[in-house]
Amino acid sequence: MRRRLTDIAFRTATGLCACVACGLLVVIVWAICQRGWPALSWRFFTEQIRLVGADGGIFYNVLGTGILVLTALAVSAPLATAIALVQAVYLRGRPLGAMLGLFLQVLNGVPSLLFGLIGMIVFVQALGWGKSWLIGGLVLGFMILPTVCVALVERIAALPSRYVEAAAGLGLRRSQIIRSVILPQTKGGLITGSLLGLARAAGETAPIMFTATVFAGATVPRGVSESPVLSLPYHIFILSQDSFDPAVVTKVWGAALTLLALVCSLSLIALPARLKNHEEANNV
Amino acid sequence: MSRWKRPSVTLVVCALLTLVAVFAFMGMLAVFVAQSAPVWRSEGWSFFTQKQWFYRQQLFGIAPMLYGTVVVAAVALLVATPAGIGTAVFASEFLPRRARLAVKVAIELLAGIPSVVYGLLGIVLLRDWIYRALQPFDPLSGDTLLTAGLLVGVMLLPTLMTLSDDALRSVPASQRLAARGLGLTATETALRVTLPQAWPGLLGALLLAGGRALGEMIAVFLVVGRQDNQWPESLLSLRPMAEAGQTLSSKLGGPEINIAYGDPLHWAAMVALGLVLLVLVATLTLAGTLIRRRKPHAP
Repeated sequence: MRRRLTDIAFRTATGLCACVACGLLVVIVWAICQRGWPALSWRFFTEQIRLVGADGGIFYNVLGTGILVLTALAVSAPLATAIALVQAVYLRGRPLGAMLGLFLQVLNGVPSLLFGLIGMIVFVQALGWGKSWLIGGLVLGFMILPTVCVALVERIAALPSRYVEAAAGLGLRRSQIIRSVILPQTKGGLITGSLLGLARAAGETAPIMFTATVFAGATVPRGVSESPVLSLPYHIFILSQDSFDPAVVTKVWGAALTLLALVCSLSLIALPARLKNHEEANNV
Repeated sequence: MSRWKRPSVTLVVCALLTLVAVFAFMGMLAVFVAQSAPVWRSEGWSFFTQKQWFYRQQLFGIAPMLYGTVVVAAVALLVATPAGIGTAVFASEFLPRRARLAVKVAIELLAGIPSVVYGLLGIVLLRDWIYRALQPFDPLSGDTLLTAGLLVGVMLLPTLMTLSDDALRSVPASQRLAARGLGLTATETALRVTLPQAWPGLLGALLLAGGRALGEMIAVFLVVGRQDNQWPESLLSLRPMAEAGQTLSSKLGGPEINIAYGDPLHWAAMVALGLVLLVLVATLTLAGTLIRRRKPHAP
């Protein structure tokens, strides 16, 4: 009897934890939707910011975030592919490969703020670029490198060895096997990893606030140096700090809802593949 | 091996790009160390023990910021650990497969919410709740170390849950079946069979989450109050949690970094803050990763 009671008590306690966690998601999403919904309109997405955020829309903020995120993709995809191939193919099973994996894990843990700081020291100050969308893209691309890379490495490791063996049996060299078997078979991993990385990059404020983005006064960048962009996260960050004007507050929640929708749709597209990978990795 | 003597273009390109990434990281570390050098020469160890930071008087002591960082991370872990591990245990031990996946989807979405959105929620909602809840202690505002800790705790929840779930799922199902076959209840199986085997993974999850808590900037910045030089009278007293404070990351994220650039010593001190943060977080991350690698025994 006592064992049964313990069982029920433990189930209830852990179940409550799960309810709290899922309830948090509902509460947070509800809070944002409820406050942000009234701000959304056609004008909100097509106009530029006016009256320090109290009027107008977020067109250039969305555009700026898009530019930053696409640049990050262009930076991270080739680097991540190369590192993943080196780690999972060329150095497979060797200590150096394991060290590369560890390096990626540590890189994944580095606070995003420090990426911003280093981008500021190296590009903004030492190289004298000023604030620029390119620095933001580089910094974000480097930041999401581990995410993209790990997704690709997992997929390469899960590739059935008979594919590679068959290709080797046909007399293909290793570089040919990579180009004609491994990369085509694992491009899903690259796409999933990139989507997850982009979802993370789109929401980050810390790496771009010193390097790439301003609150107002930028439109479409026309060069590299001294050409910052507006961005959604920084917009929310600035407005949330010093605004008690109800008009501004509504606009901030609208921007937050837009950012949330953007990020969630990116990670939702990647979700099925990611869950499948996790389930298979820990197959029981 | 002998067939691949001449390196292919693919290998050369891959190796080059990998080296670029590795050396960029090393360069980053080198820049941090080099640029912070003046402050180590001028302050030495007192950089860590000195309780005052007044840059106009060239006083650079980070003890109060270390204190704030540790308090925020501790509150966050205290909130997130039971909820995160509890959720993971419930999902992995008690829920059928489909329901488990639903919980994981919810948690993944929670993990995707940007920190600036958490910050906005903190500044608009949590701050007021804390202010009202702390009325007996007469706080100056809702911007406190406690507020920041709670907010970061919510942000850690998905990390902890996902990592703990991985750790629990890596215990082979055959062990659970064997335990149930011997007549243990699901709870006894979880407490006596699964959790003891999964503990390296769980400890690793805690360390990794701790690393994230130390480095989180945006959300903390918005609700911590950013009050310098808040050194508590007693390290064990809980009173300072109801007051504003400063953490390493919130200091770095503030406008002071732009003022600092003109003065070499001040700049070095700011970069040194970043270096300290990097070393703390990297240590936790490395330890957590290495512990998590110890897989449970196969059946």
